[in-house]
Amino acid sequence: MFSEDRRQAPRDAPPGGVERRRRADRADLPAGVERRRQRAVDSLGLSAPVRQQRDDRFDRITRLAARVFHASWSSITVLDGDQAWFPSAQGFDIPLMPRQDTFCSRTTHNARLTVVPDASLDPDFAGLPAVVNDGIRFYAGVPLTDQLGNVVGVFCVYDHAPRTMPGSDLETLEDLAAWAQSELVGSSEMLRAGTVQKAMLPAAPIHRDDWHVDGICLPALAVGGDLFDFAVNNGVVHIGLGDVMGKGTGAALVGAGVRAAVRSTHPEVVGGADLGSTTYRVARTLQEDLDRGESFVTLFQCAIDVADGTLRYVDAGAGLCVVVRTDGSVERLQSSDRPIGILPDDTWTEHRGHLAPGDRMLVFSDGLLDLLADQVEWWHEVGRLVAAHEEPSSLLLAVRELATEQVSLDDVTAVAVYRRSEGER
Amino acid sequence: MIEFDVRTTDDGIGVVVPRGRLNMVAARQLRETLTGLVEGGTSRIVVDLAETTFLDSSALGALVAGLKTARQAGGDLRIARPTESVLTVFKLTNMDKVLRPRDDVEGAFHG
Repeated sequence: MFSEDRRQAPRDAPPGGVERRRRADRADLPAGVERRRQRAVDSLGLSAPVRQQRDDRFDRITRLAARVFHASWSSITVLDGDQAWFPSAQGFDIPLMPRQDTFCSRTTHNARLTVVPDASLDPDFAGLPAVVNDGIRFYAGVPLTDQLGNVVGVFCVYDHAPRTMPGSDLETLEDLAAWAQSELVGSSEMLRAGTVQKAMLPAAPIHRDDWHVDGICLPALAVGGDLFDFAVNNGVVHIGLGDVMGKGTGAALVGAGVRAAVRSTHPEVVGGADLGSTTYRVARTLQEDLDRGESFVTLFQCAIDVADGTLRYVDAGAGLCVVVRTDGSVERLQSSDRPIGILPDDTWTEHRGHLAPGDRMLVFSDGLLDLLADQVEWWHEVGRLVAAHEEPSSLLLAVRELATEQVSLDDVTAVAVYRRSEGER
Repeated sequence: MIEFDVRTTDDGIGVVVPRGRLNMVAARQLRETLTGLVEGGTSRIVVDLAETTFLDSSALGALVAGLKTARQAGGDLRIARPTESVLTVFKLTNMDKVLRPRDDVEGAFHG
């Protein structure tokens, strides 16, 4: 990482100041960084729109910035592929620009505050159209990042006169940028909603006799449409993993209903009731909401007898469950039932299986499928992943790393069930 | 971004061709396109998925909603030529029995 800050070197800049490079070099981010960055832009719905619409949430920040700093222009800039677009701009009205032609492509590359006191004197910026055609001299930009630190946008001010920016002004600029970032990436309200949704997951893993059950749920946005739940009662572990169509707030609202409906059947499920019947009841409960919301839910449920390892399961259109046996073989738990909310006369059927000592099971949502190299014969890759981890916690950590590394576009949820082999007791 | 080609055949069948990734944003457009066709009197629709590289649950939802709308209007919605990754989504969710993939667009409403 190198600095472009000509006026005041950041604290972590190397001594001796600024490394200079040719323009072409500096605009190109390393492929992996740019891929993650682009996926983050896609995931947040920040791709360049077909029709530009003014957004008051952003405009009031750029307006304020232009006024406070007496700046000719100000903008929130997003780089999408080879293009730059402006969710908000004051002083100029250009829907799209080639990425290479923007000051903000440098700020995105630097991933930190970038100040250019006089662009006409700086060979890296002197050739930009804004400098040559519009007479822009001064630029200060702050990168806007998502929760993982990917630079998804830039908040900046420009002026026709060369100038410097005192430290107090830089602080104000960064405050405004933080505001722009929270508007761009998700409001604080949504963060609270995310906290509430997390609190609806099981508080702790299950450790019971030879059994170990744990799960994770990683929403792509602040909240998500994935859910899982598990509890052990009456010597039976009851697990549910659901995925509401779509993602974000709408899916989360439906998801809370799905969780409640599944929970209401828990006493019967651990009492031995047929999972096909209980799923039918869950479906009846949800039907009207799903119809009106034009939504549907995939839902995997299982009930495991902790004494003998008998497994009963029902799968409403999820199709994503593997069992890895002690001999390394990988089996899928399959069904031909559809998701809930597709056709009014659908029914669901309970299937049976068995988990022997040493067997491991992983059930997950399609957000994880999306991250796999082979999405057609995915169970081989998932089987290897399960086999490679001796504990549910380390398996789920690997899933989390995969989701972070690839920047998941959808909610990623997984529940792992491990039955210890005799020798491990 | 995704592009939709929409045309109507001589037999009055609407053909929708989504190109690229059918994700949540594109699903909304697909839903509107399908509703627009049915409201305009075209209730027999083929969605040609030959150039759809990715399809998520929202897009599946848009297809199911389009299917229901088309059937309510006395027509039907069929899908043709799904790519392998798209076909995987249909198979996993067991939706391939409701939306049975057809080999070509022209024959989707024949035989």
